[in-house]
Amino acid sequence: MAKQLPRSKVIMHWITATSVFFLFVSSWWMLSLPLPSDVFTYRQLPFQLHKNIGITLLAIVVTMIAMRVYGREQSIQANKTRLEKLADVDHLLTYFLLIACCISGYLSSAYSGWETTLWWLVDLPGWSEENDDLNILFSDIHLWTCWALLAVVALHISAALYHAFKDDGVIDKMFRL
Amino acid sequence: MTTKAGSGINSKWIGLVVVLFGILLLAQHGNELLKQLVITPGSVAAQGVAADCRADELEEEGLSLRECELLVSNVQITLVSSPDWFRPAMMLFSLLGSLFAVSSIYLGISVAANSNTNSLSLKTCLGVLLLIDLLVFVAASNTGPLLRAQYLWPSLLWFFVHATLLAAALAHLNEQSGSEA
Repeated sequence: MAKQLPRSKVIMHWITATSVFFLFVSSWWMLSLPLPSDVFTYRQLPFQLHKNIGITLLAIVVTMIAMRVYGREQSIQANKTRLEKLADVDHLLTYFLLIACCISGYLSSAYSGWETTLWWLVDLPGWSEENDDLNILFSDIHLWTCWALLAVVALHISAALYHAFKDDGVIDKMFRL
Repeated sequence: MTTKAGSGINSKWIGLVVVLFGILLLAQHGNELLKQLVITPGSVAAQGVAADCRADELEEEGLSLRECELLVSNVQITLVSSPDWFRPAMMLFSLLGSLFAVSSIYLGISVAANSNTNSLSLKTCLGVLLLIDLLVFVAASNTGPLLRAQYLWPSLLWFFVHATLLAAALAHLNEQSGSEA
């Protein structure tokens, strides 16, 4: 039986999962809206929401990593199997890609010249003047890290389903309320 | 172990699959709600205003001029094809769908965490989600071909996903009743 994780981390895990899928679905849709101009403002709400959720997600992921590092959740286990080593790599990659996605998205937005008001309450500082080249660079990084994230998330879910079907206790730590 | 001898019902598997589809459904309904909030009747695309396609924006987005123009047509498709009742109906269905998707995530975790959790509430929740799929399907089938092409197949897929999960929850519930008797 796997050791149970703190309830707060379990909740953050499920909020992260939900946010990631919403961000994927909504971003695919919002990019099919007309390009922004003085009259075409369809993208305003979806883009602000996308950025707000992304920034909040970054804070959650950083908290989860801090809990993992300082909480000593991971028992040091010798002789890990290949699947266990793969799971460790998948977890590390997921954290890395979540952070990379969020930061590259924020930087792309910052260099696009569009302001970000966190949850319509706090104006976040602009990093620089509008810069098309940096906007395109960070936009490309955002795109490819997010595709990679989707791939590792798919692997993560497949592994969870495998362990649930085997009923070997591995996923028990993520199922508590 | 959560699989009962001879039953073949693995409550952990049911719980995880319910949670997984609950998360995906929440994303879908949340996005639909956002879509209905953003694309409003009488908005600028409906007034025939030409698309604003600046060269630098086209380069940033990787779009051709024609694609940029069609982004406006894409919104017009939704506006022109939606009967007056369609937007409020879809907002209601997606709001209810989101609420019950969150409930299904919670209940799925409960069932996976404790195989003895009473799955009656899970069964009810999945039943409501099945009903919402049916209502979305009926609503979309009463619109024109452009919206039917967007909505019918996904709602049919979700209908069968929820029918499958409901069948599993019913079997789990019967198993519980059998073991309690």
